[in-house]
Amino acid sequence: MSVITAEKPQGLQSRRRRPDKRKRSLFNTTIGRAFLQALAVAALLVLWQAGVRFGVISDFLFGAPAGIYATFMRMAGSGELLSDTGYTLFEAILGFVIGTFFGSIAGLALWYSIFVARLVEPFIVAINSVPKIALAPIIILWFGTGLVSKVALAVSLTALVALIAAYQAAKDADTDLQALLISMGANKHQIFYKAVVPSTIPSIIATFRINIGFGLVGAVVGEFISSQHGLGHLIYNASSFYDLNTVWVGLFALMLVGFALYYVIDLIERMLIPWKVVTVTHQVQV
Amino acid sequence: MSPGSASASAAVQLSVRNIHKSFTGKGAGVRVLDGLNFDIHEQDFVSIIGPSGCGKSTIFNIIAGLIEPDEGRLVYRGEEVASLRGRVGYMMQKDLLFPWRTVLGNVLLGLEMRGVSYRAAVERAREHLEAFGLGGFENAYPKTLSGGMRQRVALIRTLVMDPGILLLDEPFSALDYQTRLYLEGVLKQAVEKFHKTVVLVTHDIDEAVALSKRVVVLSGRPARVKAVHDIEIAEHSPIAARSDHRFAGYFRTLCNELDIQTETKSAAESATRFAPAGPTEAVAS
Repeated sequence: MSVITAEKPQGLQSRRRRPDKRKRSLFNTTIGRAFLQALAVAALLVLWQAGVRFGVISDFLFGAPAGIYATFMRMAGSGELLSDTGYTLFEAILGFVIGTFFGSIAGLALWYSIFVARLVEPFIVAINSVPKIALAPIIILWFGTGLVSKVALAVSLTALVALIAAYQAAKDADTDLQALLISMGANKHQIFYKAVVPSTIPSIIATFRINIGFGLVGAVVGEFISSQHGLGHLIYNASSFYDLNTVWVGLFALMLVGFALYYVIDLIERMLIPWKVVTVTHQVQV
Repeated sequence: MSPGSASASAAVQLSVRNIHKSFTGKGAGVRVLDGLNFDIHEQDFVSIIGPSGCGKSTIFNIIAGLIEPDEGRLVYRGEEVASLRGRVGYMMQKDLLFPWRTVLGNVLLGLEMRGVSYRAAVERAREHLEAFGLGGFENAYPKTLSGGMRQRVALIRTLVMDPGILLLDEPFSALDYQTRLYLEGVLKQAVEKFHKTVVLVTHDIDEAVALSKRVVVLSGRPARVKAVHDIEIAEHSPIAARSDHRFAGYFRTLCNELDIQTETKSAAESATRFAPAGPTEAVAS
């Protein structure tokens, strides 16, 4: 008896809750979310500007949205911003592609020989434990102050990440699938190309997301140390003149670049592993 | 070679001779196979049953060339071979479909290994998919299929290679009973249509009796052949075979042979499941 009476209000409650949920879902659409996100950014900018206006926030140390906007318009108009962004983007992408490509190839190749893999493992760990940014001064010495040194720095940041991830994924490839291929008469190359490589693709693409960020780090740090162009150059120079508005323009440009690259990677993922994306449309909601 | 079994007219396709295998674990090695001998005839359907962990899968791994025996020989159609790698169709409890390949791509796998031209392979694969009622699913990824369909794709992948022997390692044990009955029927029909030899490892005595021409009973570890039984049930369909009047008799014999001592009573009871139900059974349940 008590069970039945206890159940009744629960049923009513869930029925009453439903239209409530529907009302909330108005904001829970792409446009609704974009509106909320834009609102948050706008609120922050208004507060910032007001803070500067009423003397709560130092214009000198933090800049101001109005000033940032004016600087942005000037730099965009002169083409300066676009060219600096182009330099940094090019260095980052080139470093990312070279580092990730060769790193992944090397990591996969280690699958072929457990002997070689064990032999080089301590070296890889040792090199990986050095913060790669610390290599920047040597890299500038070796490769000069131009494009090559920035790319080299980006490669040094991305290659080992890709290598370790690819090797780990190759080691973890499903051994039952490999056994099946062996029973079908496959040789080692066929096992590698038909079972190992495809099963590592998701992990390799996961490193794309990490490495695209490292590519940007390499490019910008290289530009900090010595350069004539690029967003890193722009930010570093402006900050030494206490020109905070220009610094912010550079930072926002970097943010936009990183943002765009992330979505490009997303697109590549959808194209390369359709078999994985198929079912990831719905997330479990708690 | 040992004559022994009733179907003397059938030629021996594969002889397993005196196979020994032990695995070196921590401390003392574990002897898994200890002088294993049995014959598989042309177009045979042999089930291997035995206590769990007795090394049934190890035999398959040796025949398929995934591991090497410590001692012993394999003789295939009169010729001594190291293993049947490339000549067997291996199917396991897990469907082992490649998730990044479509249904068609999975079926093509064995033909690719064999170097069949792409066009011929696709044509053959499509024919098989059509014949097994999976036409129209060529471009589906395994993730989108049900367990029964996935295992059916695995079966097609095995058959399309036209292997000398099918090695089936508990292929249906992860499926629900209805799907299993259905796939047993599909398997039986396919095997008869393509004149295939099948070796089936199973823990399911009822499946062994319903499908096989012969049942090999293994002892516990280290495994030796305890007995070989000819199953003389004329019915071809696995469902009809289960209602054959000799079914329960075979079932009970095999249960006793497997030393299911404490469960002998319940095993006999489940054997009577297939006989006309008495009133006592209703009371018991």
